[in-house]
Amino acid sequence: MSDKVVPIIKLYDYLIVPIQIELDDITVEKLQMQLLNEISAKEARGIILDVSMVDVIDSYISYVLSETAAMAKAMGCHTVICKIQPNVALTLAQMGIKLENVYTANSLESALEILNQLD
Amino acid sequence: MIKVKNINDFSVDTEDYDLVLKIRQEADIAVARQMVKDFAKKNGFSLADVTKIATVVSELSRNIQRYAKKGYICARKKHGKDGNVLLEVLAYDNGPGIKDVELAVTGGYTTSQRSLGLGLSGVRRLMDTFKIISEEGKGTIVITEIRRRTF
Repeated sequence: MSDKVVPIIKLYDYLIVPIQIELDDITVEKLQMQLLNEISAKEARGIILDVSMVDVIDSYISYVLSETAAMAKAMGCHTVICKIQPNVALTLAQMGIKLENVYTANSLESALEILNQLD
Repeated sequence: MIKVKNINDFSVDTEDYDLVLKIRQEADIAVARQMVKDFAKKNGFSLADVTKIATVVSELSRNIQRYAKKGYICARKKHGKDGNVLLEVLAYDNGPGIKDVELAVTGGYTTSQRSLGLGLSGVRRLMDTFKIISEEGKGTIVITEIRRRTF
């Protein structure tokens, strides 16, 4: 059985993923694998990554998140990143980093609304 | 005490720093990030600046691990002119060096497979001062500072 690094909650056709662990380089790769496996296994049409507890998102983490969203898209699944911390948003914008392939939301409710409106 | 080899006649003495961390494997990146983050917090930097500093350390230590395989992250609290409190981060390695520093720092350029190529340009944008010294075949030193804000 592959490594599970985060809990995943199924809600209708969606997966809610609270990320409460430190996203180091190895963990983020495991996270990517876990997400893809669960999207496939649960035939999810959308995933919501709750990053409210993530203090640092640097260029590599951003890269992997965008890459993961592209992979999810290939499997017919949309990705919403939810509740980016204000200081993380500040840092990303100042660095000129844009998260590609993802929608962003400020609450779980908005994230669900976004997913409901897609296809 | 570790005295660092000269790179373009620029030398570093780790004795001058409050924090000296060796970067050797991927796991060290997150450790360095956390330790410098705690150091910044302890020295009264705002949460916004602590986040920037942690991100900067993450980028620099990843560059060390990815390209040089081994190097050091050093940090210290300094006083600038006007009595400002500064936090300085120094990243040093004896790796392959950077062929075109200007290109590397501009952003959108990478010699890696899975990378945005925005690490060094990001560091430069986040911090108040940024200096990079690199010599092919010898190594790279990045020195960057941020002023402690009062808000």
